[in-house]
Amino acid sequence: MREVVVLGVGMTRFGKHPDKGLKELGTEAIWNAVEDANIPPKDIPIIYVANAMGQQLTELRGTIAQHVVSHAGFMGMPVINVENACSGGSTALRSCILEVASGNYDVAMAVGVEKMCIADTARSAAAMAFGTILGKFGFMFVGLYAMNLRRLMEKYGLTREHFAKVVVKNTKNGALNPYAQFRQPRTMEEILNSRVVSDPLTLLMCSTMADGGAAAIVTTRDKAAKYSSKTPITIAACELVSGTPTSADAVHVPIETRASRQAYEKAGVGPEDIDVVECHDAMAPAELLIYEELGLCGEGEAGRWIDEGKTEINGVVAVNPSGGLASKGHPVSATGLAQISEIVWQLRGEAGERQVPNAKIGMTENAGGWVMDDNAACAITILKK
Amino acid sequence: METKLGDKFEGKKRVPVEEGLFHQPQATGEEPYLIAAKCKKCGFTDFPGTPVCPRCVEPGTMEEAHIGKKGKLETFSIVRSALPGFTSPSIQSYVKLEEGPVIWSLITGVEPSEDALKIGMDLELVISKVRDDEDGNEIISYQYQPVKGS
Ligand SMILES: [Zn+2]
Repeated sequence: MREVVVLGVGMTRFGKHPDKGLKELGTEAIWNAVEDANIPPKDIPIIYVANAMGQQLTELRGTIAQHVVSHAGFMGMPVINVENACSGGSTALRSCILEVASGNYDVAMAVGVEKMCIADTARSAAAMAFGTILGKFGFMFVGLYAMNLRRLMEKYGLTREHFAKVVVKNTKNGALNPYAQFRQPRTMEEILNSRVVSDPLTLLMCSTMADGGAAAIVTTRDKAAKYSSKTPITIAACELVSGTPTSADAVHVPIETRASRQAYEKAGVGPEDIDVVECHDAMAPAELLIYEELGLCGEGEAGRWIDEGKTEINGVVAVNPSGGLASKGHPVSATGLAQISEIVWQLRGEAGERQVPNAKIGMTENAGGWVMDDNAACAITILKK
Repeated sequence: METKLGDKFEGKKRVPVEEGLFHQPQATGEEPYLIAAKCKKCGFTDFPGTPVCPRCVEPGTMEEAHIGKKGKLETFSIVRSALPGFTSPSIQSYVKLEEGPVIWSLITGVEPSEDALKIGMDLELVISKVRDDEDGNEIISYQYQPVKGS
């Protein structure tokens, strides 16, 4: 297999885009990535496009990938539709990496695009909940996160203040990110006093629906030098797993732990080597669970980690310098590639005010869906300068 | 002809949220149960039941199991937003069933307040309404309620 690098990334601002549909959002992300990669568009021979909600929420009923890329001017090449709930973007990237690593193509482009802010918000909410069969019983994802956090409170004595501290950190970071939906730093007081959505979660702890697109172009190291003078970012691992059965008679290893162990092994690094992480905190306090699941901190240490600021931009390992999902917005299939974009900017030293000093190795964690009491998918990508 | 409890109830139809998921009592004295699947080989039990055991991955090891009459509250959250037609606030929970599996369920028959709910409290299965549909029918499902006097 050949070594694969990220040549270019691009995204739209996340948020409400009443004037843009899937085609417009996708086109903007694609052309931002093409410009960043400095590649002649005709040198892109294959495109994977992730989308989860389009068939339910837009007028498009299929082949959304082809509708999006043809709008951007790309026709004739193989175009593949990808759906993997919130993990769709990373799943598309993984396929692109394999196309290049195998020698099938020298260049490949991954796109993630989502249109969620429609006039009928109840329809968007239902589309999210019905990603699991529990939707018809009244299941809400926010309740699931709340219950997992409640378990953490009971097990390790974590408090609502710990949860709010994650949001303080992430909204402070998000305020520095021009691509973020919300750019307002929040105080502990504001967060704890905002409306309780699902105890212990308050409104300001939760991500909202958003429109957006993101894209990444990958190639080989040799080809990268031909196109761009920017630092090529090596993809050391991009591992995808699905959920495993849960049962009272066996210990269930969290999906993030399984995916990250696989990724660390492939990349030949450990959690202690990671400088910057973008993780899937659809409800910001879930970050605390993820610290442990990724092995960044030891069992029961997440509370101390947030207390001591270890995951701040200037901390031991910066987590969600982009602001994370709650600040940045969460257009499902675009999220994974927005995480990749952020890590690429961080490793190149292009992240401006939110730059993590001296970042050399970065990681993304992108989980999605809910099937038989586990996430449907989780992708971990490790990138190196 | 005897009227079944499942057919009509005060003029409204009671429609199960999904067929084959639970048994609703048809006569007095009968108790509801969940229709799960249990692996003859390794004991893995899942609800809703699947035809193939995900641990053994062999055909023909799963058989129907009637479970879930009793359980304990493992964790819960009072959720203050809901999809159209559903009640808000609702109590969403994980219930540890007597037979082992931990399943997601709504909690009913109790005020949605922190004080009324206790981790580890005894729960029993009930089949009751989760929402009304557009035609005014009652959509019924499995739910759990605190055991009286526990
Ligand atoms: Zn089995």
